[in-house]
Amino acid sequence: MGKINTIALKEAAGLIQDGDCIAFSGFTIWRRPVALCYELVRQGKKNLHLFEVQGGFHSEVLIGAGCVKMWEGSWMGQELLGKTGVNLSRKQCEGQIIVDDYSHGHAVARIQAGAIGVPFFPTALAMGTDILNPKYDGFARAGQRDGSDPYVAREKYKIVRDPFYDMGELLLMPAINPKVALVYAPLVGSEGTVRVLAQTYNDADVIKAAETVIVICEEIVPDEYLRRDPTQNLATGYEIDYVVKCPWAAHPTGSQYYYDTDADFLRNFNAATRTQEQFDQWADEWIFGVDSQEEYLQKLGAKRMELLRASQLLGYSTSVKRGTR
Amino acid sequence: MDASNEYAKVGEFKPIDLLAAAAAREVNDGDVVFAGTGLPMLAITLAQYTHAPNSRCIYEAGSIDGRPIDLPTSVGDARCCYQCAKAGGLYEAFYGQLHSGYVDLGFLGGAEIDKYGNLNTTVIGDYNSPKVRFTGSGGNADINSYAARTVFIMNQEKRRFRENVDYVTSPGWRIKKWPSGDWAPRREVYGKFFRGGPTAVITDMAVFRFDQTGLMYLDTVHPGFSVEDVKNNVDFDLNISLVSGETKAPTYHQLDLLYNKVDPEGIFLP
Repeated sequence: MGKINTIALKEAAGLIQDGDCIAFSGFTIWRRPVALCYELVRQGKKNLHLFEVQGGFHSEVLIGAGCVKMWEGSWMGQELLGKTGVNLSRKQCEGQIIVDDYSHGHAVARIQAGAIGVPFFPTALAMGTDILNPKYDGFARAGQRDGSDPYVAREKYKIVRDPFYDMGELLLMPAINPKVALVYAPLVGSEGTVRVLAQTYNDADVIKAAETVIVICEEIVPDEYLRRDPTQNLATGYEIDYVVKCPWAAHPTGSQYYYDTDADFLRNFNAATRTQEQFDQWADEWIFGVDSQEEYLQKLGAKRMELLRASQLLGYSTSVKRGTR
Repeated sequence: MDASNEYAKVGEFKPIDLLAAAAAREVNDGDVVFAGTGLPMLAITLAQYTHAPNSRCIYEAGSIDGRPIDLPTSVGDARCCYQCAKAGGLYEAFYGQLHSGYVDLGFLGGAEIDKYGNLNTTVIGDYNSPKVRFTGSGGNADINSYAARTVFIMNQEKRRFRENVDYVTSPGWRIKKWPSGDWAPRREVYGKFFRGGPTAVITDMAVFRFDQTGLMYLDTVHPGFSVEDVKNNVDFDLNISLVSGETKAPTYHQLDLLYNKVDPEGIFLP
Protein backbone atom coordinates (compact mmCIF):
# COMPACT_ATOMS: atom_id res chain seq x y z
CA MET A 1 0.00 0.00 0.00
CA GLY A 2 1.20 3.47 -0.80
CA LYS A 3 0.27 6.69 0.89
CA ILE A 4 0.30 10.32 -0.12
CA ASN A 5 1.91 13.32 1.42
CA THR A 6 -0.84 15.93 1.38
CA ILE A 7 0.20 19.52 1.90
CA ALA A 8 -1.38 22.97 1.63
CA LEU A 9 -1.00 25.27 -1.37
CA LYS A 10 1.27 27.79 0.38
CA GLU A 11 3.43 24.99 1.76
CA ALA A 12 3.76 23.47 -1.72
CA ALA A 13 4.86 26.75 -3.27
CA GLY A 14 7.30 27.11 -0.37
CA LEU A 15 9.14 24.00 -1.56
CA ILE A 16 10.33 25.85 -4.65
CA GLN A 17 13.61 27.68 -4.18
CA ASP A 18 14.82 30.72 -6.08
CA GLY A 19 16.71 29.53 -9.15
CA ASP A 20 14.96 26.14 -9.42
CA CYS A 21 14.47 24.45 -12.79
CA ILE A 22 10.75 23.77 -13.17
CA ALA A 23 8.53 21.99 -15.70
CA PHE A 24 4.73 21.88 -15.84
CA SER A 25 1.86 19.66 -16.85
CA GLY A 26 -0.68 20.64 -19.48
CA PHE A 27 -0.81 22.11 -22.94
CA THR A 28 -1.01 25.88 -23.65
CA ILE A 29 -4.38 26.65 -22.02
CA TRP A 30 -5.36 23.26 -20.63
CA ARG A 31 -4.53 21.58 -17.28
CA ARG A 32 -1.93 24.08 -16.05
CA PRO A 33 -1.11 24.25 -12.30
CA VAL A 34 -2.21 27.89 -12.19
CA ALA A 35 -3.07 28.19 -8.47
CA LEU A 36 0.49 27.05 -7.65
CA CYS A 37 1.95 29.59 -10.09
CA TYR A 38 -0.11 32.41 -8.57
CA GLU A 39 1.26 31.39 -5.16
CA LEU A 40 4.85 31.39 -6.47
CA VAL A 41 4.25 35.00 -7.55
CA ARG A 42 2.83 35.91 -4.13
CA GLN A 43 5.89 34.38 -2.47
CA GLY A 44 8.14 36.45 -4.72
CA LYS A 45 10.18 33.61 -6.28
CA LYS A 46 13.12 34.75 -8.40
CA ASN A 47 15.49 33.49 -11.09
CA LEU A 48 13.44 30.44 -12.01
CA HIS A 49 14.51 28.35 -14.98
CA LEU A 50 11.46 27.10 -16.89
CA PHE A 51 11.69 24.15 -19.22
CA GLU A 52 8.50 24.02 -21.23
CA VAL A 53 7.56 21.81 -24.11
CA GLN A 54 5.34 24.80 -24.74
CA GLY A 55 4.26 27.70 -22.52
CA GLY A 56 0.87 29.17 -21.78
CA PHE A 57 -1.06 31.34 -19.36
CA HIS A 58 0.70 29.98 -16.24
CA SER A 59 4.20 30.78 -17.50
CA GLU A 60 3.11 34.13 -18.95
CA VAL A 61 2.08 35.00 -15.38
CA LEU A 62 5.40 33.86 -13.88
CA ILE A 63 7.38 35.71 -16.56
CA GLY A 64 5.27 38.87 -16.30
CA ALA A 65 5.79 38.89 -12.52
CA GLY A 66 9.56 38.76 -12.92
CA CYS A 67 9.98 35.30 -11.38
CA VAL A 68 11.83 33.85 -14.38
CA LYS A 69 15.47 34.21 -15.39
CA MET A 70 15.63 31.55 -18.13
CA TRP A 71 12.92 30.21 -20.42
CA GLU A 72 13.39 27.37 -22.85
CA GLY A 73 10.59 25.89 -24.91
CA SER A 74 9.06 25.67 -28.34
CA TRP A 75 6.09 28.02 -28.17
CA MET A 76 4.40 30.64 -26.06
CA GLY A 77 0.81 31.85 -26.32
CA GLN A 78 -2.83 31.08 -25.68
CA GLU A 79 -3.77 29.85 -29.18
CA LEU A 80 -7.08 31.30 -30.40
CA LEU A 81 -7.56 33.10 -27.07
CA GLY A 82 -4.43 35.25 -27.39
CA LYS A 83 -1.97 34.06 -30.00
CA THR A 84 1.31 35.56 -28.83
CA GLY A 85 2.65 35.38 -25.30
CA VAL A 86 2.85 39.10 -24.71
CA ASN A 87 4.83 38.90 -21.47
CA LEU A 88 7.58 36.64 -22.81
CA SER A 89 7.64 38.81 -25.92
CA ARG A 90 8.09 42.01 -23.90
CA LYS A 91 10.81 40.56 -21.66
CA GLN A 92 12.69 39.00 -24.58
CA CYS A 93 12.59 42.21 -26.64
CA GLU A 94 13.79 44.21 -23.63
CA GLY A 95 16.58 41.70 -22.94
CA GLN A 96 15.27 40.89 -19.47
CA ILE A 97 15.09 37.14 -19.87
CA ILE A 98 17.37 34.44 -21.30
CA VAL A 99 15.46 32.61 -24.02
CA ASP A 100 16.23 29.45 -25.98
CA ASP A 101 13.87 28.15 -28.66
CA TYR A 102 13.22 24.58 -29.75
CA SER A 103 10.65 22.88 -31.95
CA HIS A 104 7.93 20.86 -30.30
CA GLY A 105 9.57 17.66 -31.52
CA HIS A 106 12.92 18.73 -30.03
CA ALA A 107 11.38 19.65 -26.67
CA VAL A 108 9.40 16.40 -26.56
CA ALA A 109 12.62 14.50 -27.29
CA ARG A 110 14.34 16.22 -24.37
CA ILE A 111 11.66 15.52 -21.75
CA GLN A 112 11.19 11.97 -23.08
CA ALA A 113 14.91 11.32 -22.60
CA GLY A 114 14.69 12.73 -19.08
CA ALA A 115 11.66 10.57 -18.35
CA ILE A 116 13.29 7.29 -19.31
CA GLY A 117 16.73 8.05 -17.90
CA VAL A 118 18.81 8.24 -21.07
CA PRO A 119 21.07 11.26 -21.64
CA PHE A 120 19.80 12.10 -25.13
CA PHE A 121 17.17 11.26 -27.71
CA PRO A 122 17.62 11.04 -31.49
CA THR A 123 15.38 12.92 -33.89
CA ALA A 124 15.33 14.03 -37.52
CA LEU A 125 12.58 16.61 -36.94
CA ALA A 126 13.06 20.32 -37.72
CA MET A 127 16.54 20.05 -39.24
CA GLY A 128 17.85 22.92 -41.36
CA THR A 129 16.25 25.67 -39.27
CA ASP A 130 17.54 28.59 -37.21
CA ILE A 131 16.48 26.71 -34.09
CA LEU A 132 19.83 24.96 -34.61
CA ASN A 133 21.76 28.13 -35.46
CA PRO A 134 24.69 28.32 -32.98
CA LYS A 135 24.45 32.14 -33.06
CA TYR A 136 20.94 31.89 -31.62
CA ASP A 137 21.78 29.49 -28.78
CA GLY A 138 20.44 31.78 -26.06
CA PHE A 139 21.75 29.74 -23.13
CA ALA A 140 25.28 29.54 -24.61
CA ARG A 141 25.32 33.29 -25.30
CA ALA A 142 24.43 33.91 -21.67
CA GLY A 143 27.30 31.65 -20.55
CA GLN A 144 24.94 29.03 -19.14
CA ARG A 145 26.47 26.07 -20.99
CA ASP A 146 29.77 25.96 -19.06
CA GLY A 147 28.79 22.76 -17.23
CA SER A 148 28.24 24.44 -13.86
CA ASP A 149 24.44 24.21 -13.98
CA PRO A 150 23.21 20.58 -13.80
CA TYR A 151 19.96 21.62 -15.48
CA VAL A 152 21.67 23.03 -18.58
CA ALA A 153 23.30 20.72 -21.14
CA ARG A 154 26.83 21.61 -22.27
CA GLU A 155 25.58 21.72 -25.88
CA LYS A 156 22.15 22.54 -27.25
CA TYR A 157 22.20 19.57 -29.63
CA LYS A 158 24.60 17.39 -31.54
CA ILE A 159 24.58 16.24 -35.17
CA VAL A 160 25.49 12.56 -35.49
CA ARG A 161 25.68 10.06 -38.32
CA ASP A 162 23.52 6.96 -37.90
CA PRO A 163 26.06 4.22 -37.02
CA PHE A 164 23.64 1.32 -37.57
CA TYR A 165 21.57 1.58 -40.74
CA ASP A 166 23.30 4.36 -42.73
CA MET A 167 20.34 6.70 -42.46
CA GLY A 168 22.70 9.66 -42.55
CA GLU A 169 22.80 12.69 -40.27
CA LEU A 170 20.30 13.38 -37.54
CA LEU A 171 20.15 15.18 -34.20
CA LEU A 172 20.72 14.15 -30.62
CA MET A 173 18.78 16.27 -28.17
CA PRO A 174 20.00 16.33 -24.55
CA ALA A 175 17.75 15.04 -21.76
CA ILE A 176 16.21 17.46 -19.32
CA ASN A 177 15.55 16.44 -15.71
CA PRO A 178 13.91 19.41 -14.01
CA LYS A 179 14.29 19.83 -10.27
CA VAL A 180 10.56 20.20 -9.72
CA ALA A 181 7.48 19.22 -11.71
CA LEU A 182 4.34 21.22 -10.99
CA VAL A 183 1.51 19.06 -12.22
CA TYR A 184 -2.22 19.67 -12.34
CA ALA A 185 -4.42 16.58 -12.57
CA PRO A 186 -8.13 16.34 -11.90
CA LEU A 187 -7.91 13.12 -9.90
CA VAL A 188 -5.36 11.71 -7.47
CA GLY A 189 -6.00 8.49 -5.60
CA SER A 190 -5.51 7.95 -1.88
CA GLU A 191 -2.27 6.09 -2.76
CA GLY A 192 -1.20 8.71 -5.26
CA THR A 193 -2.34 7.14 -8.52
CA VAL A 194 -2.86 9.99 -11.00
CA ARG A 195 -5.56 10.18 -13.67
CA VAL A 196 -6.28 12.73 -16.36
CA LEU A 197 -9.46 12.57 -18.42
CA ALA A 198 -8.31 13.43 -21.95
CA GLN A 199 -5.09 13.83 -23.98
CA THR A 200 -2.08 13.06 -21.81
CA TYR A 201 0.13 15.85 -23.29
CA ASN A 202 3.63 15.43 -21.73
CA ASP A 203 2.31 15.00 -18.19
CA ALA A 204 3.67 11.49 -17.57
CA ASP A 205 7.09 12.49 -18.98
CA VAL A 206 7.30 15.59 -16.81
CA ILE A 207 6.44 13.50 -13.73
CA LYS A 208 9.08 10.85 -14.51
CA ALA A 209 11.78 13.34 -15.47
CA ALA A 210 11.59 15.62 -12.43
CA GLU A 211 13.36 15.04 -9.11
CA THR A 212 10.41 16.30 -7.04
CA VAL A 213 6.81 16.07 -8.16
CA ILE A 214 3.96 18.16 -6.75
CA VAL A 215 0.50 17.30 -8.03
CA ILE A 216 -2.34 19.77 -7.48
CA CYS A 217 -5.76 18.23 -7.98
CA GLU A 218 -9.51 18.78 -7.93
CA GLU A 219 -10.28 15.68 -5.91
CA ILE A 220 -8.55 13.02 -3.89
CA VAL A 221 -10.47 9.78 -4.46
CA PRO A 222 -10.10 6.22 -3.16
CA ASP A 223 -7.27 4.55 -5.06
CA GLU A 224 -9.52 1.51 -5.34
CA TYR A 225 -11.74 3.52 -7.68
CA LEU A 226 -8.85 4.41 -10.03
CA ARG A 227 -7.55 0.82 -9.97
CA ARG A 228 -10.81 -0.54 -11.35
CA ASP A 229 -9.63 0.70 -14.74
CA PRO A 230 -5.83 0.96 -14.62
CA THR A 231 -5.60 1.57 -18.39
CA GLN A 232 -6.92 5.08 -17.75
CA ASN A 233 -4.23 6.11 -15.27
CA LEU A 234 -1.28 8.43 -15.96
CA ALA A 235 1.15 7.74 -13.13
CA THR A 236 1.66 5.55 -10.11
CA GLY A 237 1.76 6.89 -6.57
CA TYR A 238 5.46 6.27 -5.98
CA GLU A 239 6.33 8.74 -8.73
CA ILE A 240 4.56 11.50 -6.77
CA ASP A 241 6.04 13.36 -3.79
CA TYR A 242 3.35 15.82 -2.69
CA VAL A 243 -0.35 16.27 -3.32
CA VAL A 244 -2.29 19.50 -2.94
CA LYS A 245 -6.07 19.43 -3.06
CA CYS A 246 -7.26 22.66 -4.61
CA PRO A 247 -10.52 22.90 -6.57
CA TRP A 248 -10.40 24.95 -9.79
CA ALA A 249 -6.60 25.03 -9.52
CA ALA A 250 -6.22 25.15 -13.30
CA HIS A 251 -8.50 28.16 -13.91
CA PRO A 252 -8.46 30.06 -16.30
CA THR A 253 -7.00 27.08 -18.20
CA GLY A 254 -9.39 24.19 -18.65
CA SER A 255 -9.69 20.75 -17.10
CA GLN A 256 -11.63 18.25 -19.19
CA TYR A 257 -14.86 17.04 -17.52
CA TYR A 258 -14.43 19.66 -14.75
CA TYR A 259 -14.39 23.11 -16.40
CA ASP A 260 -13.69 24.72 -19.75
CA THR A 261 -10.99 27.24 -20.58
CA ASP A 262 -12.18 30.71 -19.53
CA ALA A 263 -12.04 32.41 -22.94
CA ASP A 264 -12.97 35.89 -21.67
CA PHE A 265 -10.44 35.75 -18.85
CA LEU A 266 -7.63 34.60 -21.17
CA ARG A 267 -8.40 37.12 -23.93
CA ASN A 268 -8.56 39.88 -21.35
CA PHE A 269 -5.23 38.84 -19.81
CA ASN A 270 -3.60 38.89 -23.23
CA ALA A 271 -4.97 42.35 -24.03
CA ALA A 272 -4.45 43.80 -20.54
CA THR A 273 -0.82 42.81 -19.84
CA ARG A 274 1.04 44.26 -22.85
CA THR A 275 3.13 46.66 -20.77
CA GLN A 276 4.78 45.99 -17.41
CA GLU A 277 2.56 48.60 -15.74
CA GLN A 278 -0.51 46.88 -17.13
CA PHE A 279 0.73 43.49 -15.96
CA ASP A 280 1.44 44.83 -12.48
CA GLN A 281 -2.09 46.24 -12.32
CA TRP A 282 -3.53 42.93 -13.46
CA ALA A 283 -1.45 41.05 -10.88
CA ASP A 284 -2.52 43.46 -8.12
CA GLU A 285 -6.11 42.58 -8.87
CA TRP A 286 -5.96 38.84 -9.54
CA ILE A 287 -2.89 37.61 -7.62
CA PHE A 288 -2.04 40.01 -4.80
CA GLY A 289 -5.66 41.13 -4.34
CA VAL A 290 -6.57 37.66 -3.06
CA ASP A 291 -4.68 35.55 -0.57
CA SER A 292 -6.09 32.09 -1.18
CA GLN A 293 -7.80 29.96 -3.79
CA GLU A 294 -11.07 30.44 -1.82
CA GLU A 295 -10.82 34.22 -2.21
CA TYR A 296 -9.89 33.84 -5.88
CA LEU A 297 -12.96 31.70 -6.54
CA GLN A 298 -15.15 34.12 -4.61
CA LYS A 299 -13.87 36.87 -6.87
CA LEU A 300 -14.61 34.78 -9.97
CA GLY A 301 -18.15 34.26 -8.75
CA ALA A 302 -20.63 31.41 -8.96
CA LYS A 303 -22.20 32.67 -12.19
CA ARG A 304 -18.96 32.56 -14.14
CA MET A 305 -17.97 29.20 -12.68
CA GLU A 306 -21.36 27.72 -13.54
CA LEU A 307 -20.95 28.79 -17.19
CA LEU A 308 -17.52 27.17 -17.33
CA ARG A 309 -18.66 23.90 -15.76
CA ALA A 310 -18.02 21.04 -18.20
CA SER A 311 -20.70 18.79 -19.56
CA GLN A 312 -20.25 15.33 -18.05
CA LEU A 313 -20.95 13.82 -21.45
CA LEU A 314 -18.71 15.98 -23.64
CA GLY A 315 -15.99 17.08 -21.23
CA TYR A 316 -16.39 20.78 -22.02
CA SER A 317 -18.94 23.53 -21.42
CA THR A 318 -21.82 23.93 -23.83
CA SER A 319 -23.06 27.16 -22.24
CA VAL A 320 -19.99 29.40 -22.07
CA LYS A 321 -19.74 32.09 -24.77
CA ARG A 322 -16.51 31.57 -26.69
CA GLY A 323 -16.97 33.64 -29.86
CA THR A 324 -18.94 36.61 -31.16
CA ARG A 325 -22.16 34.73 -31.94
CA MET B 1 -25.93 20.91 -60.40
CA ASP B 2 -27.48 21.56 -57.02
CA ALA B 3 -27.79 25.35 -56.56
CA SER B 4 -25.93 25.13 -53.26
CA ASN B 5 -22.87 23.82 -55.10
CA GLU B 6 -22.65 26.91 -57.31
CA TYR B 7 -19.83 29.32 -56.63
CA ALA B 8 -20.69 32.44 -54.63
CA LYS B 9 -20.12 35.79 -56.33
CA VAL B 10 -17.70 38.51 -55.27
CA GLY B 11 -19.37 40.47 -52.49
CA GLU B 12 -21.22 37.41 -51.19
CA PHE B 13 -18.26 36.09 -49.22
CA LYS B 14 -15.45 37.50 -47.10
CA PRO B 15 -11.75 37.01 -47.90
CA ILE B 16 -11.42 34.63 -44.95
CA ASP B 17 -14.23 32.42 -46.34
CA LEU B 18 -12.40 31.98 -49.61
CA LEU B 19 -9.17 31.31 -47.74
CA ALA B 20 -10.82 28.52 -45.76
CA ALA B 21 -12.46 27.06 -48.86
CA ALA B 22 -9.28 27.18 -50.94
CA ALA B 23 -7.32 25.59 -48.12
CA ALA B 24 -9.93 22.85 -47.70
CA ARG B 25 -9.46 21.91 -51.39
CA GLU B 26 -5.84 21.00 -50.66
CA VAL B 27 -7.01 18.04 -48.57
CA ASN B 28 -7.27 14.77 -50.49
CA ASP B 29 -9.82 12.24 -49.37
CA GLY B 30 -7.97 9.72 -47.23
CA ASP B 31 -5.18 12.08 -46.17
CA VAL B 32 -3.82 11.92 -42.65
CA VAL B 33 -3.66 15.61 -41.81
CA PHE B 34 -1.66 17.23 -39.00
CA ALA B 35 -3.21 20.66 -38.41
CA GLY B 36 -2.24 23.69 -36.36
CA THR B 37 -4.44 26.13 -34.44
CA GLY B 38 -6.84 28.53 -36.19
CA LEU B 39 -7.61 28.57 -39.91
CA PRO B 40 -6.04 25.13 -40.50
CA MET B 41 -8.70 23.73 -38.13
CA LEU B 42 -11.48 25.37 -40.16
CA ALA B 43 -10.04 24.11 -43.44
CA ILE B 44 -9.63 20.47 -42.40
CA THR B 45 -13.07 20.41 -40.80
CA LEU B 46 -14.66 21.92 -43.92
CA ALA B 47 -12.85 19.36 -46.09
CA GLN B 48 -14.16 16.53 -43.90
CA TYR B 49 -17.73 17.82 -44.26
CA THR B 50 -17.40 18.00 -48.07
CA HIS B 51 -15.04 16.22 -50.46
CA ALA B 52 -12.73 14.48 -47.99
CA PRO B 53 -14.88 12.59 -45.49
CA ASN B 54 -12.17 9.94 -45.16
CA SER B 55 -9.39 12.33 -44.23
CA ARG B 56 -8.15 11.94 -40.67
CA CYS B 57 -6.88 14.72 -38.43
CA ILE B 58 -4.12 14.71 -35.83
CA TYR B 59 -3.72 17.59 -33.41
CA GLU B 60 -0.34 17.98 -31.77
CA ALA B 61 -1.48 17.69 -28.15
CA GLY B 62 -2.26 14.03 -28.84
CA SER B 63 -5.77 13.54 -30.24
CA ILE B 64 -5.67 11.12 -33.16
CA ASP B 65 -8.53 11.10 -35.69
CA GLY B 66 -10.99 13.06 -33.56
CA ARG B 67 -14.38 14.11 -34.88
CA PRO B 68 -15.05 17.39 -33.07
CA ILE B 69 -18.63 18.65 -33.19
CA ASP B 70 -17.59 22.05 -31.77
CA LEU B 71 -14.65 24.13 -33.01
CA PRO B 72 -11.63 23.80 -30.69
CA THR B 73 -9.82 26.98 -29.57
CA SER B 74 -6.68 25.00 -28.80
CA VAL B 75 -5.10 21.91 -30.33
CA GLY B 76 -5.18 20.59 -26.76
CA ASP B 77 -8.90 21.31 -26.39
CA ALA B 78 -11.34 18.80 -24.90
CA ARG B 79 -13.25 19.22 -28.19
CA CYS B 80 -10.37 17.69 -30.21
CA CYS B 81 -10.88 14.41 -28.34
CA TYR B 82 -14.53 13.93 -29.19
CA GLN B 83 -14.83 10.53 -30.90
CA CYS B 84 -11.08 10.31 -31.45
CA ALA B 85 -9.55 6.91 -32.15
CA LYS B 86 -6.85 7.52 -29.58
CA ALA B 87 -6.04 10.22 -27.04
CA GLY B 88 -2.30 10.12 -26.50
CA GLY B 89 0.14 12.88 -25.83
CA LEU B 90 2.78 14.83 -27.72
CA TYR B 91 5.11 11.85 -27.92
CA GLU B 92 2.39 9.95 -29.79
CA ALA B 93 1.67 12.89 -32.11
CA PHE B 94 5.26 13.87 -32.95
CA TYR B 95 7.01 10.52 -32.83
CA GLY B 96 4.30 7.83 -32.99
CA GLN B 97 2.56 9.51 -35.91
CA LEU B 98 4.78 12.17 -37.51
CA HIS B 99 8.28 10.72 -37.21
CA SER B 100 6.85 7.28 -38.05
CA GLY B 101 5.78 8.66 -41.40
CA TYR B 102 1.99 8.49 -41.25
CA VAL B 103 1.32 12.15 -42.05
CA ASP B 104 0.32 13.07 -45.61
CA LEU B 105 -0.50 16.74 -45.16
CA GLY B 106 0.61 19.42 -42.73
CA PHE B 107 -1.64 22.47 -42.39
CA LEU B 108 0.12 25.45 -40.87
CA GLY B 109 0.19 29.23 -40.47
CA GLY B 110 3.08 31.68 -40.33
CA ALA B 111 4.14 35.30 -40.05
CA GLU B 112 6.83 35.54 -42.78
CA ILE B 113 7.81 33.34 -45.71
CA ASP B 114 10.55 33.43 -48.37
CA LYS B 115 10.51 32.19 -51.97
CA TYR B 116 11.78 28.74 -50.93
CA GLY B 117 8.99 28.31 -48.39
CA ASN B 118 11.13 28.97 -45.33
CA LEU B 119 8.75 30.17 -42.67
CA ASN B 120 9.20 32.42 -39.66
CA THR B 121 6.93 32.24 -36.61
CA THR B 122 9.56 33.25 -34.06
CA VAL B 123 10.84 36.86 -34.18
CA ILE B 124 11.02 40.01 -36.25
CA GLY B 125 14.53 41.43 -36.17
CA ASP B 126 17.65 39.73 -34.82
CA TYR B 127 16.74 36.77 -32.58
CA ASN B 128 19.26 37.99 -30.02
CA SER B 129 17.54 41.38 -29.66
CA PRO B 130 14.23 41.10 -31.48
CA LYS B 131 11.78 43.87 -32.30
CA VAL B 132 8.84 41.50 -31.93
CA ARG B 133 8.52 37.96 -30.67
CA PHE B 134 5.78 35.71 -31.97
CA THR B 135 4.86 32.27 -30.68
CA GLY B 136 7.93 30.32 -31.77
CA SER B 137 7.85 27.04 -33.64
CA GLY B 138 5.56 24.82 -31.65
CA GLY B 139 4.99 21.95 -34.04
CA ASN B 140 5.40 24.08 -37.17
CA ALA B 141 9.01 23.09 -37.90
CA ASP B 142 8.38 19.43 -37.13
CA ILE B 143 5.18 19.02 -39.11
CA ASN B 144 6.65 20.89 -42.07
CA SER B 145 9.80 18.79 -41.96
CA TYR B 146 8.03 15.44 -41.91
CA ALA B 147 4.64 15.72 -43.63
CA ALA B 148 4.69 14.53 -47.26
CA ARG B 149 3.00 17.84 -48.22
CA THR B 150 2.68 21.06 -46.30
CA VAL B 151 0.20 23.87 -46.97
CA PHE B 152 0.69 27.26 -45.35
CA ILE B 153 -2.17 29.65 -44.72
CA MET B 154 -1.08 33.28 -44.44
CA ASN B 155 -2.03 36.94 -44.86
CA GLN B 156 -0.83 38.52 -48.11
CA GLU B 157 1.41 41.46 -47.24
CA LYS B 158 4.70 42.65 -48.70
CA ARG B 159 6.36 42.52 -45.28
CA ARG B 160 5.35 38.87 -44.95
CA PHE B 161 6.56 37.62 -48.38
CA ARG B 162 10.25 38.41 -48.13
CA GLU B 163 13.50 37.71 -49.97
CA ASN B 164 14.91 36.53 -46.63
CA VAL B 165 12.95 35.89 -43.47
CA ASP B 166 14.42 37.13 -40.18
CA TYR B 167 14.47 33.65 -38.64
CA VAL B 168 13.95 30.29 -40.32
CA THR B 169 11.57 28.59 -37.90
CA SER B 170 10.28 26.02 -40.34
CA PRO B 171 12.23 24.47 -43.24
CA GLY B 172 11.46 25.16 -46.92
CA TRP B 173 13.13 23.77 -50.05
CA ARG B 174 16.54 25.41 -49.54
CA ILE B 175 17.65 25.35 -45.95
CA LYS B 176 20.66 25.79 -43.69
CA LYS B 177 22.98 22.83 -43.31
CA TRP B 178 24.53 22.90 -39.86
CA PRO B 179 27.09 23.34 -38.43
CA SER B 180 28.27 25.60 -41.28
CA GLY B 181 24.88 27.19 -41.94
CA ASP B 182 25.50 27.07 -45.71
CA TRP B 183 22.31 26.96 -47.76
CA ALA B 184 21.61 23.53 -49.25
CA PRO B 185 18.70 21.76 -50.94
CA ARG B 186 16.28 20.23 -48.48
CA ARG B 187 16.86 16.73 -49.91
CA GLU B 188 20.56 17.02 -49.13
CA VAL B 189 19.97 18.02 -45.50
CA TYR B 190 17.30 15.42 -44.83
CA GLY B 191 18.87 12.61 -46.84
CA LYS B 192 17.06 9.33 -46.19
CA PHE B 193 14.78 11.16 -43.76
CA PHE B 194 13.35 13.24 -46.63
CA ARG B 195 9.57 12.86 -46.95
CA GLY B 196 8.45 15.95 -48.87
CA GLY B 197 7.95 19.62 -48.19
CA PRO B 198 5.87 22.74 -48.74
CA THR B 199 3.48 22.38 -51.68
CA ALA B 200 1.22 25.42 -51.44
CA VAL B 201 0.77 28.79 -49.76
CA ILE B 202 -2.75 30.12 -49.58
CA THR B 203 -3.43 33.75 -48.72
CA ASP B 204 -6.37 36.13 -48.78
CA MET B 205 -5.30 37.10 -52.35
CA ALA B 206 -3.85 34.09 -54.12
CA VAL B 207 -2.64 30.50 -54.16
CA PHE B 208 1.10 29.87 -54.63
CA ARG B 209 2.86 26.60 -55.36
CA PHE B 210 6.47 25.44 -55.65
CA ASP B 211 8.28 24.33 -58.82
CA GLN B 212 10.72 21.41 -59.14
CA THR B 213 13.60 23.55 -57.93
CA GLY B 214 11.65 24.52 -54.82
CA LEU B 215 10.88 28.08 -55.94
CA MET B 216 7.50 29.61 -55.20
CA TYR B 217 5.30 30.61 -58.15
CA LEU B 218 1.89 32.19 -58.45
CA ASP B 219 -0.76 29.62 -59.35
CA THR B 220 -4.19 31.25 -59.02
CA VAL B 221 -5.43 34.70 -58.07
CA HIS B 222 -8.60 35.09 -56.00
CA PRO B 223 -11.68 36.72 -57.58
CA GLY B 224 -11.48 40.51 -57.21
CA PHE B 225 -7.65 40.62 -57.32
CA SER B 226 -5.15 40.92 -60.18
CA VAL B 227 -1.70 39.42 -60.73
CA GLU B 228 -0.40 42.97 -60.28
CA ASP B 229 -2.09 43.20 -56.85
CA VAL B 230 -0.32 40.03 -55.78
CA LYS B 231 3.05 41.13 -57.16
CA ASN B 232 2.71 44.40 -55.24
CA ASN B 233 2.28 42.43 -52.06
CA VAL B 234 5.34 40.22 -52.49
CA ASP B 235 8.81 41.51 -51.65
CA PHE B 236 10.77 39.05 -53.82
CA ASP B 237 10.72 38.64 -57.61
CA LEU B 238 7.66 36.44 -57.99
CA ASN B 239 7.39 33.95 -60.85
CA ILE B 240 4.08 34.77 -62.60
CA SER B 241 4.73 32.74 -65.75
CA LEU B 242 2.79 29.70 -64.51
CA VAL B 243 -0.49 31.36 -63.47
CA SER B 244 -3.30 28.89 -64.18
CA GLY B 245 -6.26 31.22 -63.68
CA GLU B 246 -8.63 32.39 -60.98
CA THR B 247 -9.10 30.68 -57.61
CA LYS B 248 -12.52 29.12 -57.27
CA ALA B 249 -14.81 31.04 -54.94
CA PRO B 250 -16.42 29.18 -52.05
CA THR B 251 -19.68 27.48 -52.93
CA TYR B 252 -22.91 28.41 -51.14
CA HIS B 253 -22.77 24.97 -49.57
CA GLN B 254 -19.26 25.64 -48.21
CA LEU B 255 -20.34 29.04 -46.85
CA ASP B 256 -23.34 27.46 -45.17
CA LEU B 257 -21.11 24.81 -43.57
CA LEU B 258 -18.51 27.34 -42.46
CA TYR B 259 -20.97 29.61 -40.66
CA ASN B 260 -23.53 27.09 -39.48
CA LYS B 261 -21.56 23.95 -38.81
CA VAL B 262 -17.80 24.58 -38.58
CA ASP B 263 -17.79 27.86 -36.62
CA PRO B 264 -21.35 28.77 -35.64
CA GLU B 265 -20.08 30.41 -32.44
CA GLY B 266 -18.06 33.01 -34.37
CA ILE B 267 -14.76 32.05 -32.73
CA PHE B 268 -12.68 32.52 -35.84
CA LEU B 269 -15.08 33.76 -38.52
CA PRO B 270 -16.49 37.27 -38.14
